[in-house]
Amino acid sequence: MTQPATANYLALAEEYLQPYIDQLTRPELFRLDVWVTSARFRDAVQTLFDHQWGYLCAITGVDRPFIAVDPETPAQEDQIEVLYHFAEGEGVVTIHVLLPYSRLSIPSLCDLIPSASMYERELMEMLGVDCVGTPSREKLVLPDEWPDGVYPLRKSFKGLNPVNMEEVS
Amino acid sequence: MATVVSASDQSRFIVPIGPQHPALKEPGHFEFTVDGEIITGASARLGYVHRGIEKGAESMNWTQCLYLLERICGICSHIHSIAYCQGLEKLADIEISPKARAMRTLVAELERIHSHMLWWGVAAHEGGFDTLFMYTWRDREIVMDLLETISGNRVNYSVNVIGGVRLDLSPEQVTKIVSGMKKLEERTKHYLEIVTNDSSFLARTRGIGVMTREEAQRLGAVGPTARASNVCRDVRVDAPYAGYHEYPVKIVTDTAGDLKARFVVRIKELFESYRIITNVAQNMPEGELKARRVPRKIPAGNVISRVEAPRGELFYYIESGGGEGPERIKVRTPTLPNWGSVLTMAAGLRLADVPMLLVGIDPCFSCNDRLIRLNPDGKQQTLTWQQLRDRGIEYYR
Amino acid sequence: MKNDLPAMFAILIFPGGLSLLLGGLMFEWIDRKFVARLQNRKGPKWYQPLADVIKSFSKEEIVPAGVNAGLFIGLPIVGVTTALVTGLYVPLFGFAPSHSFAGDLIVVLYFLSVLTLTLGVAGANTMDHFSLIGATRTLTQLFSYEAPFMLALLGPAIVAQSWQINEINVYAQNHTWFLFSQPIGFIIALIGLMGKLELPPFDAPEAETEIVSGALTEYSGRGLGLFHLGQDVEFIIGITLITTFYLGGLANPLEFILKSLGLLLVLTALQTLAARLRIDQTVGLWWRIGALLALIQLIISIAIRKLI
Repeated sequence: MTQPATANYLALAEEYLQPYIDQLTRPELFRLDVWVTSARFRDAVQTLFDHQWGYLCAITGVDRPFIAVDPETPAQEDQIEVLYHFAEGEGVVTIHVLLPYSRLSIPSLCDLIPSASMYERELMEMLGVDCVGTPSREKLVLPDEWPDGVYPLRKSFKGLNPVNMEEVS
Repeated sequence: MATVVSASDQSRFIVPIGPQHPALKEPGHFEFTVDGEIITGASARLGYVHRGIEKGAESMNWTQCLYLLERICGICSHIHSIAYCQGLEKLADIEISPKARAMRTLVAELERIHSHMLWWGVAAHEGGFDTLFMYTWRDREIVMDLLETISGNRVNYSVNVIGGVRLDLSPEQVTKIVSGMKKLEERTKHYLEIVTNDSSFLARTRGIGVMTREEAQRLGAVGPTARASNVCRDVRVDAPYAGYHEYPVKIVTDTAGDLKARFVVRIKELFESYRIITNVAQNMPEGELKARRVPRKIPAGNVISRVEAPRGELFYYIESGGGEGPERIKVRTPTLPNWGSVLTMAAGLRLADVPMLLVGIDPCFSCNDRLIRLNPDGKQQTLTWQQLRDRGIEYYR
Repeated sequence: MKNDLPAMFAILIFPGGLSLLLGGLMFEWIDRKFVARLQNRKGPKWYQPLADVIKSFSKEEIVPAGVNAGLFIGLPIVGVTTALVTGLYVPLFGFAPSHSFAGDLIVVLYFLSVLTLTLGVAGANTMDHFSLIGATRTLTQLFSYEAPFMLALLGPAIVAQSWQINEINVYAQNHTWFLFSQPIGFIIALIGLMGKLELPPFDAPEAETEIVSGALTEYSGRGLGLFHLGQDVEFIIGITLITTFYLGGLANPLEFILKSLGLLLVLTALQTLAARLRIDQTVGLWWRIGALLALIQLIISIAIRKLI
């Protein structure tokens, strides 16, 4: 079985994803990073899935609070960036979705890719992103008594305050 | 008898496995709904040993992170540090020497041997075959001793540093490694025979927990679990890292997809490991151990680093803001995607098959649990043993 | 060898009662030690089983919520008592049984099953899921090995034309070992004993990696200790019984030591050879193969007897 070179794989992925892409970079030889809006994200994944391109490697959530570099820049809303990594052979396609704090919801992938459930549960409890339609919303790793609305992987989280600590213990 | 219902749940008979259970050497919680001996449903709950490593990493500098991440797992510590160092070296544009790459490969393969041998032992124990358990663990000592000779430690070898490795092999160590591999190869042949021929063992493994190729792909299984279902997926082959360009690996797959196939794939992988280790040890390239200059600050950017841990693909996403420490480190360990496959396969099996099925993917709880560190008031909170004890007594009063 | 000791002494001290308990503990130790050596381990010291029992007895006995306390405490006592009673009818330590009557073989077999039954009932008595499944498995296993095991012991009884253990013992001493004339029966009796004692690979009812400790999961302290003692007694009685029937009887203590230890070592070695059987595999093995072979052996024995 001859495998097409990584470049071909990525070119294919780029072709499939073309209709949905807002922005595209190739940070490394074997990587393709695309930015899509949360509205079109589901369709983008669906396309990859229909063409059987790669498998879901991981879902990374990154908290991107707004930091004013200089006073002139107008204040922007804090955001959370969700990264969906798909891999095929050496190539990795990362789909970036930026979600502002006011609309932290993204469609679930579990009906397409059942293994996404674990990653989505983690994303929900760690960063407070709502995965709409995910089958299990139970806590995966945090204690059952963990206070609602406290998301440990956000940059603003510096530890539970003593009041919350009491709740936990 | 089996239709007896508990007081709390009138409709389902649930067998809880974990967090404390003899079948699990580490804490995890699984609930299996059973009808007699037959399983009808399964669910998982993790997080009993959270250490908050991802969050903790954000408050540390690049060098500290290396030691923190190496301690994610005691069994596959080296592979975590490879993934991390490779990522950083790519970000900082550091070229590492062929010798360092060979050394990393050597230790990674030694680690694979010890991990796989540990796994057989545990799997045999779950199947009630304690004799095999004792024998494999005895032979595992050979490789543990080798690791100790090389690095001074049985786990957490700390062989990697950013920009290279810390250790070199002496000629005596090379001789020891080569003879150790010979001995192990002989023993492994014997175990392969047991696993493929012993009828009582086959009765517990053949045709149990079958996962077809399509299912394995759909469920996103990785590592030996996927390869036992004939999915050709191995990062060492797909995207060679460290020394795997110079010392290529032959991928081992099996078509059966059952527990037996998972045993066979792992055992056959070991023969590959023995071959590579002997090859690397005897043909160690000359060169520097580590790069001369490693910057304290790493340029801004992000990098994806994938390596093949003993349990499957290990995925790192490292983001640098240009500072002395990481902005975000995401670790996706191989056990996580494999859980899905187990929970799906469980339905329809017998309760007696569960421990072996759970163990079939070689679960590693330190792989899963590493997210939270309690850090109230921004200060490190340290509790003495006495304080912890008092707290426990108070809580359970 | 004739036993001339007073009846009370025989029942309480020797060869029954205390000696029986200590003998059972000794057998357990030899079993554990030898398994350990075969598995490349050190194994326990000789007093370990005794220490275990003393420790169990000195611990608090926790009666879990939701159980019938009377049953919970009473069952281990019933179990260990029935096991001890069987000691009166078998030629323990090579001495003639202190009690003997026509048909005591049936009584002994029944009493040996009572211990397993109490174990099953004890498991079913608690609300714990592991215990319930363990109890189901214990009873399932009881019903699967019991018939073949009984048939296997009936073979020598039919040839000796007696249902009295003592008479069979005497018959066995004066004839060819049944091991050679009825080899199938011997194998079935031996493996049946392993099933009865829940030794590996027939330890599905107490498979620790699945159901923790099976029917005994909720037991602690005295109850647990008593059940262990009962199992040890069953161990030594079972071995004595098979030695008497198949290994040419027990005429004196020396014979007892040699023959029963030989059998014990065979039994121990068998434990290390295989992976645990699932409960459905155990049932299948006994009914499809064990019972059938035992029946064939029995029919052959009867046929030969008729011909002669």
